[in-house]
Amino acid sequence: MSQAAIADEIGKHLERLIEIWASAVRDDPRIESDAILSKPELIDHVPAIVQEICELIRKNEVPNVRNSHEARANVYGRYQQGYKGRDLIRELSLLRITLLDHLKDISEDEAASFDSEEVHKSGKILNLYLDEEMRYAISVYGSAPRPPEAGVS
Amino acid sequence: MISQDEFDRFVKDYNEDYKLLLTRASRRHYDCLITSFMVLKDFYNMIQVSYDSGQYKFNTLPYPFSFRADHVLLGNLGFDDEEIANIFGFLHFVKETQGMEFEDCLEAGTLAMCARVR
Repeated sequence: MSQAAIADEIGKHLERLIEIWASAVRDDPRIESDAILSKPELIDHVPAIVQEICELIRKNEVPNVRNSHEARANVYGRYQQGYKGRDLIRELSLLRITLLDHLKDISEDEAASFDSEEVHKSGKILNLYLDEEMRYAISVYGSAPRPPEAGVS
Repeated sequence: MISQDEFDRFVKDYNEDYKLLLTRASRRHYDCLITSFMVLKDFYNMIQVSYDSGQYKFNTLPYPFSFRADHVLLGNLGFDDEEIANIFGFLHFVKETQGMEFEDCLEAGTLAMCARVR
């Protein structure tokens, strides 16, 4: 199984993965900020994030400042929504778990005859992408002015 | 090395330009807009790379460059439903005229520039 096939496999199950992740966030008693959000507001950029991760897996590209725009958009959105920083980190951790669990499932699919090296590389990209978002989030939450000052008025 | 004041000005200019380009899209002024977004993406990346160096702070947050999934952001920027539909219409326009997605066009660089500039 090539990395492109792994990316396709994740993309094919995008809706289900987002559902699993959203339920995990709603069920997590340690996340408080989600209570103020409707389901579309909660889901927001997360499908776009997963799609961007899939693109990077497909191209075998290491996530960095220049190719993680959806991650930055998500941090911006959560910040503007009044989401707590620690809740954002936790929901990203839940997204990581959801995607890694799925990666494990597809790696165990005998019919797909996966290559463990390709799965490992894909997992690495996924992890590095979410780390990149967490790094940005910590930095923004630690130094930027609180909304509504954010953005140009 | 640029100063914090200069960095702040870059962020302010970026935010103004971003809103200006979206305003053009919201009025269906799509001609050559992809080229302008290419330049703006470089500007955004420059800001983010500088910020990532740890030498600057955001006194104002830059708007996220990506707007594909962001109905909420566009609403907060003051665009109404029709204008937002026109902005998303720009993404369709790019796909029709360039034969690829907006993001792929930005990656393709000068190959996807508008005819007038190319």
